[in-house]
Amino acid sequence: MGSIISDYNYWIYILLMMIGLYAMLAKNNLIKKVIGMSIFQTAIIIFYVSIGAKEHATIPIIAHGHGAVEAAIDVAHYANPLVHVLMLTAIVVSVGTLGVALAICLAIHRRYNSLEEDEIQEQLQ
Amino acid sequence: MIWQLDLSILSLIVVCAFATIMVKDLLSAAIIFGAYSFLMCLLWTEMGAVDVAFTEASVGAGVSTVLFIAAVHQTSRRVTPRKSGRLLSKVIGLVAALLMGLVLIIAEADFPGFASPFSPASLHLSPYYITQTLHDTNVPNIVTSVLADYRGFDTMFETAVIFTAGLAVIAILRRYKKDDSTEIPEPYTISEGYPDTIIRFVARQLVPFIQLFALYVVAHGHHSPGGGFQGGVIIGASFILLAISFDTRMIIGLMSEKSNILLGNIGVLIYAGIGFLCLLLGANFLDYSILSKVLPATDKVMARSHGMLGIEIGVAIAVMAIVISIYINIVSCGKYDKDV
Repeated sequence: MGSIISDYNYWIYILLMMIGLYAMLAKNNLIKKVIGMSIFQTAIIIFYVSIGAKEHATIPIIAHGHGAVEAAIDVAHYANPLVHVLMLTAIVVSVGTLGVALAICLAIHRRYNSLEEDEIQEQLQ
Repeated sequence: MIWQLDLSILSLIVVCAFATIMVKDLLSAAIIFGAYSFLMCLLWTEMGAVDVAFTEASVGAGVSTVLFIAAVHQTSRRVTPRKSGRLLSKVIGLVAALLMGLVLIIAEADFPGFASPFSPASLHLSPYYITQTLHDTNVPNIVTSVLADYRGFDTMFETAVIFTAGLAVIAILRRYKKDDSTEIPEPYTISEGYPDTIIRFVARQLVPFIQLFALYVVAHGHHSPGGGFQGGVIIGASFILLAISFDTRMIIGLMSEKSNILLGNIGVLIYAGIGFLCLLLGANFLDYSILSKVLPATDKVMARSHGMLGIEIGVAIAVMAIVISIYINIVSCGKYDKDV
């Protein structure tokens, strides 16, 4: 029971991934599929950031003052910055991929005048 | 970390995720997704990832929502269910999602405990960054020093990915007047903007402050959360605010397609150019410490700090231009030549 409560971040990320995958597969509307893809992306980001979190740790900015002598830096005192960097760039790239996905949706709508998967398939046949 | 806060934010996130998938109106789905992103931003702050939270606030909750609304505005708000095979698609989706969930739950048993300082991901590379950043680069924000210096290659190609995404959107959507002068259907014309005096006045007064804040975010990224990506997106968002409250054509007058592509190029070139400058001075690519030879009154440590500022400026210029370019193309469906 203790591990179930303490690992809730992992359970939630699994749940969000399932919601995102379900939306990508089962939804009929293409915009809904794009939203599902974005939820899937954020679930992965939750996973990474949760891995880098540390108990009783502060944000990864070293406390400093001008001219102050640096005390020894305790690694356990700062959250893992590496996962933050990876996820920061992932979020920025996700807006790029989102733009391309929406552009493809608009191009499809321009040609088939619909964003519903089955209506587009009807016109394709 | 406060686990009660963590748990309540996570529950709200799940509620928002369900709602945005289930709701029938696409505009509502876009707005709920904005709320979902904002809750995510709270969650990152709560877990100590302030730079990620800042990025999520400006990119996820800000620009993504605007892009969704622009796309819905250009297409339709309605969601029609499948005419046939509804059950089958739902079953396939559910089975696939449950199977993936099962595999992940099995894998979860081997994960390190949540928020454990001894998780393997926090033991190998990151202690070096945490302990050495002040000594190596004099930059107290470890995220900035890892982003711009230790993993500079990675960030350079991320910037190139953003630039490529901007080009891809133009390649997919752009329609030129000279090739395609016959039909200009109603939904494709550029939205005129609702002429509300209060909104226009407030937007116009806000823009200079937003842009000043963005410059602060870029320049102060060494000492506080922020940096090139966030600052660039905020400048882009200030232009998008003008485009929403006034007229998209006004922004096209300010930031034409040509200047957007040019600025995107310049941003990536500033980044790569600083890398090549290091190469020319005799060090490795993106090894800023050698810049102390050309920068006045800097030692090797401060040169790395200044080199980071240089590439952050490049990133900000590229991201700003590409965000504006993506917005203009999506909101006008690629038809924004003059006198259309």
